[in-house]
Amino acid sequence: MARSTAFPEAAGRRRPLAGGPARLPAASIAGFCDELLVHDLPDLPAERRAAVVAFAGRRIAGLPTPMRLGVGAVAALVGALARVIGRTRTVGLLAARPLPVFGEYVRLVRSLGYAYVWETWPATTPTGGPGEPGG
Amino acid sequence: MSPVADDGRISTEVLVVGSGAGGAPTAALLAEAGFDVTVLEEGAMVRQGEVVPFSLDQMDRQYRAGGVTAALGRPAIAYTEGCCAGGGTEINSGLYRRPPEEVLERWRRVHRVADLASADVETICDEVERELSVQTVPGAQTPASEALRRGAAALGWRHDEIPRWMTYPDGTAATAGRRQSMTETYLPRAERAGARLLTGHRVDRLVLERGRAVRAEVTAGDRPVTVEFDHVVVCGGAIQSPALLQRSGLRRNVGRTLAVHPTVKVAARFTDAVNVPDDVPVHQVKEFAPDLSFGGSASNPGLVALALSDSWSRFGPAITEWRHVSVYYAAITSEGRGWVQAVPGLRDPVVTYRLTRKDRAVLARGLARLALLLLEAGAVEVYPSYRDAPVVRARRDLAAVQGTYATTRASVMTVHLCSTVPIGETPAAAADSHGLVHGTANVRVHDASLLPDAPGVNPQASVMAMAIRNTRHLIATVAR
Repeated sequence: MARSTAFPEAAGRRRPLAGGPARLPAASIAGFCDELLVHDLPDLPAERRAAVVAFAGRRIAGLPTPMRLGVGAVAALVGALARVIGRTRTVGLLAARPLPVFGEYVRLVRSLGYAYVWETWPATTPTGGPGEPGG
Repeated sequence: MSPVADDGRISTEVLVVGSGAGGAPTAALLAEAGFDVTVLEEGAMVRQGEVVPFSLDQMDRQYRAGGVTAALGRPAIAYTEGCCAGGGTEINSGLYRRPPEEVLERWRRVHRVADLASADVETICDEVERELSVQTVPGAQTPASEALRRGAAALGWRHDEIPRWMTYPDGTAATAGRRQSMTETYLPRAERAGARLLTGHRVDRLVLERGRAVRAEVTAGDRPVTVEFDHVVVCGGAIQSPALLQRSGLRRNVGRTLAVHPTVKVAARFTDAVNVPDDVPVHQVKEFAPDLSFGGSASNPGLVALALSDSWSRFGPAITEWRHVSVYYAAITSEGRGWVQAVPGLRDPVVTYRLTRKDRAVLARGLARLALLLLEAGAVEVYPSYRDAPVVRARRDLAAVQGTYATTRASVMTVHLCSTVPIGETPAAAADSHGLVHGTANVRVHDASLLPDAPGVNPQASVMAMAIRNTRHLIATVAR
């Protein structure tokens, strides 16, 4: 019979699996998301931006554990960079020159944001303006 | 009466883990054969009509991790998994393709899957099609679907309408169909025959003693539950099933051969309104199959924005006309393979996938050909989903697509995950020809994991046919 020593649970010891909220740098993620929206969609009203940031934060907090750990690590590095050169420059840099791994972080946050904006407010203009009702 | 005793224990003859395309028919057939069956489903029961198809609300309630899951690699490949009663059948496109004869022949010859006579599979497919009301749309197609047909016809490319498991009780329109997913068909059948379906129950691991699984350790909310059984059939899908087996100490050839159909997308804008926010086109173009096929994707405004987001500065203005825009895909049968690896102590596995050089070339070719097809269909602009892509307005622009496309810049996605516990009689198989996992006497897998490789078509029919075949074998062979 195949038994694993790497998995203590397989040896009969019941141990909870870590699936709950890992320690994510939530403030860094929220700040980055907010700034990315300002960069991409400058006319998006502040209250809508706040709703998008909250949505993206919830989705990232619900990522599968390995993805959440990876995103958390990248977000922490991005947050550190933002403290040195400023959040606006950091976002501008990453948006203009998508680097491996960091580019995936930008794409993730942007994807969540755009999907939420246009599903929730389909009339939004390409720059984030409220658009025509019913548009 | 709750089947859970006060001490958090359930006793059952057969435990079925998961309630999707594999688990639901497995449970129904076993219960109808007189077995005492318990189905554990990690997700919730969400009835049709409670959520808008392909919406963020649906993703919250019926997808794993809200639909934000990806296989790591260059590039990462986004995928989705159902996590609800009925599994992927509640959220997929509902398109139905029998396993092609050449695929069955490959499984017999290359993977040495025994007892897989084509006639038997066809008979099971007949039965599935009756149960699920598989049919083509009785009336007019959606404009987005019609565009695919028109473009393919103009180029002389092979195309057809893919049947769906739908009924059309209120008329003949393509968008009036009611999905015959597992919560509408096999799950009620299983419950009528006495099976118990418990939602919100996640199986953390199976406990084995001398090659026999004897109980499952389960979490229901925050409450631990233990399920004792004689047989267990794992049907959690191509990611969760191998992860569960690995967590249970079963790792021989498990999780090493993840197969998918990678896709790249384009959005296309037409002069007329084509967008149907809560449905998908039913035509597919198979001129280059099995290597490459084209079809239509869900296209609500959020998903249109997503498809345009890689080159927003060029493509963004199209979002104001989202009713005239629909999203299409080019899917390939990939040579690449991925891994699913459970990590000690972590709830979710690591998933990776590596595209080969040929895969990348076929994706590039597919993107250009799909753009051409959509131009022929009358699109005024086509927007390929990769970073810094050009707007395609005429055939001459296709050269720029081929010149600038790189798969690492693209948003690559997939929905058809399979083959992580492949069956057969070769040294590479993880389970025997009927899904019995190597090294065990009573652990079986009846979901997309068991397909020996990617079938090159929508896999639900293949999964259901193999699950039914294997369940009948189980019923015929186990001692009671």
